[in-house]
Amino acid sequence: MKIVIAGAGAIGFHLAELLSKEDHDITLIDTDETALVQAGRHLDVLCITGDAATLGILEDTQIKKAQLFISVTTSEKTNLLAAILAKQLGVKNTIARISNIEHLKDSDQERFKQLGIDVLISPQQLAALEIERLLQRASFTDHYEFENGKISVVGFTLDAACPLNNYTLREIDERNKDFSLRGIALLRGSDTLIPSGDTRLQKGDHLYIATQREYLESARKFAGKQLKPIKNVMIIGGTPLALRAAQQLENKYSVTVVLKSEDRGKKFLEELDNTLIINADPSDVDALKEEGLEQMDAFVALTPNSEINILASMMAEELGVYKTIAQVENVDYTRISQNIGIDTIINKKLIAANDIFRFVRKGKVEAVASLHGVDGEIIEFEVHKNNRLLRHPVKDLHLPTQCIIAGVVRGQETIVPNGDFYFEINDKVIILALPEAIHKVEEIFK
Amino acid sequence: MINTGVVINVIGVLLIMLGGFMLTSLFFSTYYGSEDNLPILYSAVTTVSTGGLLWLLSRNSSKKIGKREGFLIVALGWCSVAIFSALPYLYSGVLPNLSNAFFESVSGLTTTGATVIQDIESVPQGILFWRSLTQWIGGMGIIVLTVAIFPLLGIGGVELFVAEAPGPTSDKIHPRIKETAKRLWYIYLGLTSMLIVLLFLNGMTFYDAFNHGLTTMATGGFSTKNASIAYFSEPAIQYILAAFMFIAGINYTLIYYGFKGRFTRIWKSDEFKTYLSLVIGLILIVTTAVYYFRGGEFERAFREATFQIISIITTTGYVSADYTAWTPVLTLLFFLLFFIGACAGSTSGGIKIIRHLVIFKNSFLELRRLLHPKAIIRIKIDRKIVAPRVITHIQVFLLFYLILFALGSLVMTVILNDFEQPFLTSIGAVATSLGNVGPAIGQLGPMDTFAQVPIAGKWVLTILMLLGRLELFTILILFTPYFWKRN
Repeated sequence: MKIVIAGAGAIGFHLAELLSKEDHDITLIDTDETALVQAGRHLDVLCITGDAATLGILEDTQIKKAQLFISVTTSEKTNLLAAILAKQLGVKNTIARISNIEHLKDSDQERFKQLGIDVLISPQQLAALEIERLLQRASFTDHYEFENGKISVVGFTLDAACPLNNYTLREIDERNKDFSLRGIALLRGSDTLIPSGDTRLQKGDHLYIATQREYLESARKFAGKQLKPIKNVMIIGGTPLALRAAQQLENKYSVTVVLKSEDRGKKFLEELDNTLIINADPSDVDALKEEGLEQMDAFVALTPNSEINILASMMAEELGVYKTIAQVENVDYTRISQNIGIDTIINKKLIAANDIFRFVRKGKVEAVASLHGVDGEIIEFEVHKNNRLLRHPVKDLHLPTQCIIAGVVRGQETIVPNGDFYFEINDKVIILALPEAIHKVEEIFK
Repeated sequence: MINTGVVINVIGVLLIMLGGFMLTSLFFSTYYGSEDNLPILYSAVTTVSTGGLLWLLSRNSSKKIGKREGFLIVALGWCSVAIFSALPYLYSGVLPNLSNAFFESVSGLTTTGATVIQDIESVPQGILFWRSLTQWIGGMGIIVLTVAIFPLLGIGGVELFVAEAPGPTSDKIHPRIKETAKRLWYIYLGLTSMLIVLLFLNGMTFYDAFNHGLTTMATGGFSTKNASIAYFSEPAIQYILAAFMFIAGINYTLIYYGFKGRFTRIWKSDEFKTYLSLVIGLILIVTTAVYYFRGGEFERAFREATFQIISIITTTGYVSADYTAWTPVLTLLFFLLFFIGACAGSTSGGIKIIRHLVIFKNSFLELRRLLHPKAIIRIKIDRKIVAPRVITHIQVFLLFYLILFALGSLVMTVILNDFEQPFLTSIGAVATSLGNVGPAIGQLGPMDTFAQVPIAGKWVLTILMLLGRLELFTILILFTPYFWKRN
């Protein structure tokens, strides 16, 4: 599929990387030549210098032959105009990144659709939802459900007290006979591994396991994690994202927002109803303690300054706050969160890019999710008729090594298959695949 | 650390492909019963099995190609391809001496077209076809072909492509490097077939048409006749060849746009406009000079001037008349033309017009800067500002080129000490090798072969040809300490 992306910043670059690995033909537009040179050097994409919101540049990209136009520059107005123009020139679908979340109202979205913008993406909105989701599942850092929850994928970090440290997955499997649990992905440092039976777990690893819903509770106990419902949340920072997150959270938790500027405080006051707003310097530890930092269950650092976010979260962790989340601008830093003791580092651009990526994929497969920080995707397939899949056991299907079957749903039953497993018609298969294997996996199951 | 596994792996693939190409020569040797079947078969088997072995040994290595691996693959790949391309000459006994065989093979692959074979017409048809085919393979670049065919070179392919493709710019005509490479090869293949048909219709034998088709589009210059194109006295054939040499000197990206009907892209290209006006200007000057100094028919003067100018400027090196026999100033002019070259992104060699254009524009602007020290002055090519980094890169390229020319000439003059005109012959031979042209001046003029050059001289010229084809940097970088450092 031919895709044109306007904006080679963090979102555009990350998207181009994900999509070009998937055999899409990507053309990148940006006014900044240096960003394009960087992209051209690392990715197999076509780069065009210029303003995406001009007809000439869009025509240069042969937009009428493209299926999708994604506008993710930093300027909302450029994005909206470029998407409208691209639609005029004949592209099938358009996506535009916006910063004003007012546009996300249903009635507004309908109007934008009439203008030619099919999907509006707000990184802030998505990041706020992500924060909410992370807080809901506090003991596991991530939780994904498939087939109405018949299969769950959860991720957790192995801390020093974790009973699984220094065991291989096979040894762990032998110890618990009463339920099946499968390690499907392992984040170690910045690498994503697909663990085998001989992979030995280490402290600091972030492990994703697939299991049935009824075993979720025992899996949690097994991993040495205790469940702690979250009541008090402290957010630091006066950014639009902080406001959006507070709006999202204030009706479920007791939220305290700490921000420096009094003017911003007033703005927050106008928009929020049940939130305590404190005017203090978020990097002032004593002030935070005064406002009850030690009694907080969760600490969310959303100031514009990544360093303050990281340091403040580490301090909160030190003071015994159960769950810490820090927003960091630099995409590359998101991978180190586990190493430095913060539960989760989020990056709103990365979240937005992944969300768009999922949107692009949606048409092709039944369901898809990307795991936080993992260079890979969870894909769901249904086994159709007349498939060579039915004739061979799994081990003889020559699945690429960069993928793993998380589970199979057969009717009401959930199975974690081994090498001798045979597929049957109408099985729903859930697979985790690293980017280079996604295409191959799709070919095998289509 | 350099990932040697993938380097070996890709070289293995290259050799397998080369062996496959060798097998095509069998059609001709069988058809003409030229009794070089077995040598060609042995060469192909040796090449394919060596390639297959390398590929097998390294098939499990990581497929990551970085900058270093890219340079190493292109440099070593070309060397190994050149070595194995020499096998048919060796096995068949056409050139039993290793230095000669390697010279011929490199001269072919780099599309230089200088030959050490004294009597070309006595060479069996199969081997002669292989000789032409090496030029065709080398013209577009065997690595570009590999990128086009094999999926293994995804992102790393970009690095390879840049390291092998001629010229300072490499425009993509499709978002995917693989598709870009494919389209380039389709154009190449299409134009070659067109030329072969035209030559055949105008009276060449099928065999000659095929060979000349291959070596023209590659701007190579190997002919199947001792007298080169002078053998084909039919004016139509010479004009057709001149036209296709000219086309082969155009940037293939532009040709692609031409095929797509986007002619504005072509007229916007400063390099193309310069190329066209330079060729027309030179033809006018040289035609006048030849007509004036030699007299005779005007059409003949025009045809010979046109053919020689295009042949040298595109670095093809076909000969239909001896340009050193006209008048000394024209000999000097042709010597200077060795340094011009045609457009970047074509199959031609030499310095290339785009580089000259940038350097000229920049030099004249320097004069303006002297008058207006505070003015913001930038040079533009195709209405776009040329980045200072690119200008430096091109200046460094020119500097290296001239240094290599100077050093090479010194060495060659020592080697050719016993010649009657050692000085003229040396500078001509070095310039023609570095620029991948073919014929030189002095005693290695258009009517001579390089067989008379001593062994040492052949090796020097062979190295210069390789350096010239890979545009210096790809090979020179391997000799820098930075390349082998950990980071």
